[in-house]
Amino acid sequence: MNTGQIISGAGHLGLIAWILFGGAFPTKPLDFDVTKVTAVSSEEYAAIVSRSNSPEQTSEISPPAAPDVPQDSPDLSSEADTAPAAPQPDTATEATPDPAPEPPTEAQEAEVTDEAPVIEPPAEDMAALVPETSQRPQQRPAERVAPQQVDPPAPDTAVDEVVREEAVPDETAETPREEADATAPEAAATEIVTEAEEAEVAAPLNSVRPKTRPDQLRPAPQPEAQPEAQTQTAEAPEPEVAEPAPAPATDTSSVEDALAAALGGATDTPAPSINAGPPLTAGEKDGLRVAVQSCWNTGSLSSDALNTTVTVAFEMSEDARPIDGSIRMLGSTGGTDGSASQAYEAARRAIIRCGARGFGLPAEKYASWRNVELVFNPENMRIK
Amino acid sequence: MMARFTALLALLLTTLTALPAAAQTGPLRLEITEGVIEPLPFAVPAFVGTGSGGQAAQDISNLISADLSGTGLFREIPASAHISRITSFSSPVQFADWKAVNAQALVTGAVDVDASGRLTVQFRVWDVFAGQELGSGQQFVGTQDGWRRIAHKIADQVYSRITGEGGYFDSRVVYVSETGPKDQRAKRLAIMDYDGANTTFLTDSSSLVLAPRFSPTGDRILYTSYESGFPKIYVLDVANVSRRQLPTQEATMSFAPRFSPNGQTVVYSLEAGGNTDIYTMNIGSGSSQRMTSAPSIETAPSFSPDGAQIVFESDRSGSNQLYVMSSGGGEARRISNGDGNYGTPVWSPRGDLIAFTKQSKSRFHIGVMRTDGSEERLLTASFLDEGPTWAPNGRVIMFTRETQGEQGQAGLYSVDITGRNLRRVSTAGGASDPSWSPLQ
Repeated sequence: MNTGQIISGAGHLGLIAWILFGGAFPTKPLDFDVTKVTAVSSEEYAAIVSRSNSPEQTSEISPPAAPDVPQDSPDLSSEADTAPAAPQPDTATEATPDPAPEPPTEAQEAEVTDEAPVIEPPAEDMAALVPETSQRPQQRPAERVAPQQVDPPAPDTAVDEVVREEAVPDETAETPREEADATAPEAAATEIVTEAEEAEVAAPLNSVRPKTRPDQLRPAPQPEAQPEAQTQTAEAPEPEVAEPAPAPATDTSSVEDALAAALGGATDTPAPSINAGPPLTAGEKDGLRVAVQSCWNTGSLSSDALNTTVTVAFEMSEDARPIDGSIRMLGSTGGTDGSASQAYEAARRAIIRCGARGFGLPAEKYASWRNVELVFNPENMRIK
Repeated sequence: MMARFTALLALLLTTLTALPAAAQTGPLRLEITEGVIEPLPFAVPAFVGTGSGGQAAQDISNLISADLSGTGLFREIPASAHISRITSFSSPVQFADWKAVNAQALVTGAVDVDASGRLTVQFRVWDVFAGQELGSGQQFVGTQDGWRRIAHKIADQVYSRITGEGGYFDSRVVYVSETGPKDQRAKRLAIMDYDGANTTFLTDSSSLVLAPRFSPTGDRILYTSYESGFPKIYVLDVANVSRRQLPTQEATMSFAPRFSPNGQTVVYSLEAGGNTDIYTMNIGSGSSQRMTSAPSIETAPSFSPDGAQIVFESDRSGSNQLYVMSSGGGEARRISNGDGNYGTPVWSPRGDLIAFTKQSKSRFHIGVMRTDGSEERLLTASFLDEGPTWAPNGRVIMFTRETQGEQGQAGLYSVDITGRNLRRVSTAGGASDPSWSPLQ
């Protein structure tokens, strides 16, 4: 062991000792925020749940009076439906009328005096107790279920698939603007919420604590880069790399052989079909996918149809609208012919409805999206 | 070395240049895995009335719309938004006008009343966006008094052609009608259309009646009555409202009866000597067979649609749970595994689900689960929900909901098996313990 190694070893040992015992790692614990929470007893929780789920929230339908005379059974016959007429309950035997309800008792009159109640003025700097939860009635989850949650539109906003701000006539403008109401998509939840599940979410989710002071605000974290953008970059064509590298002067035979093999292989590939052309980016594909799924309504499909995956092909015109007559089912899996037919009808409606305004695909890539095959897989829709 | 590198580079570049073109040689193929769940918009313009059928035409088209809208699966486009007017049943449909108002299904029809008073109703169902008819046109003939049944039958056809599964509109419900205060409540059997219309009482309120259950063909009703002082099972013929008591031992209590799928056998509970077990009885011969023999309480039995199994509730584990056994007898296996107490199980007519009542944390729920107990899903929650019964197509459940307090009253509610479309069923007064008939 030479002197340099000894000096180096001693130096490293000293450095390690300083790190361990010299205060390089502070022992002071990191700051952390403390938030007070409020415990809710089971009785209080039951009371909250009971208030928010009383049957009175459902629509009340006034019951019709029972008919005094039983109606004769309808004598139905049909050319297409020849089932025998079902027996009818013609009359009640010895049915007695219901007892008449007791008349309501007279309401007691409240004592009213002309003297106004005296209200004690509050003492200065008196603290006010605020409820920890909002007393406002909770909004029922939207009946519509969609991949993305949509908040209810403003009261004066018409429901439409396209978001549009209200337009009012501007007399000072050079070209008059047409008056139009504001539109917004219909409210939607991401999954079906049953009455039983509503009861579970009725408990307060957030405490209404005062907001932090401005000087404690921290800079908002930067949003993460969108995966779509990354994918678009990754899939973007780079034409400049297509230029062939110049061949070296030496050993030309092997290079030429390799190039010939490569180019020969390329020329052996089949001629590009009608869809050859610049590819769609992932974002453009997602745009088409989102447009179709926003119109793919599975709410009225049977259980069998929700177990059926159908593949539908169609052709689009250059303005990115589907050609109705070209829509056809290529195949189906997981169901009967009947359920496949129902699933196909729903898929076709989705393509036609949302394609009526055009899918907004780039015209220069028409060859890429002229012919489309969509696989409608309802697996996720079964568990909504 | 340099030459080999250059060759590799050329090969790589050639391959990269060819890749995008190769990826686009076929049709653009995408997979759609997410959609929306919302009511399908439909339009039923007023049927064309000929002869004296004008009012009937309006009534029938209104009832068809009400049937379809009531399912929660469809949403009616109001007549005020219609662009086209249907003035002739045979005229071509202007699909563009119906597309413009986003009507995806269209029902057109015509009603005629002939000189003898016979009602003839024709209808067609159209897929507006496909521009073609769904199924083929159909015609019903009946009396003018039977216009509601004709409308229900048409609604069943429309429902079936759009969803691919059977409807449930031309069906009836038998239930226990309740009147009077809670401590002196009078109960009698009543029968009505599924939507609450045409209520008729089948018994008087002189004795307590419970748990009416339709036969698979809808022509008979089983129920429990305290007429003799003990609860006994009766079978009532719906056509002539005649009834007879099923033969059971004296000084025993028999209750909770249900028909087997072939209508020849009744499964029920019988209490004797302080023990309650499940029995079956052949209605024709009156011979009975004991199915369980446990010291616990076994009750609320229900056959599977194929008649091979029976689901029932039992407290043999210390709390009320659901069990399934072979209809030939033998060991039962427990299928409910959640917290709380389970009861009143009913097998779906499709055979895929079992509906039940669940009590948990001071709340009552109506729920469904797979026949092996998996995928339990609670559909409702209230002070008291109980006694589910299935619609003929296995898509909707009706049940009893009772409100809290001395003035609390029982009523009938229905809910889709997804938990959507919870709504009250219109009844004449208080109502409980419904049983849904098959399609008529």
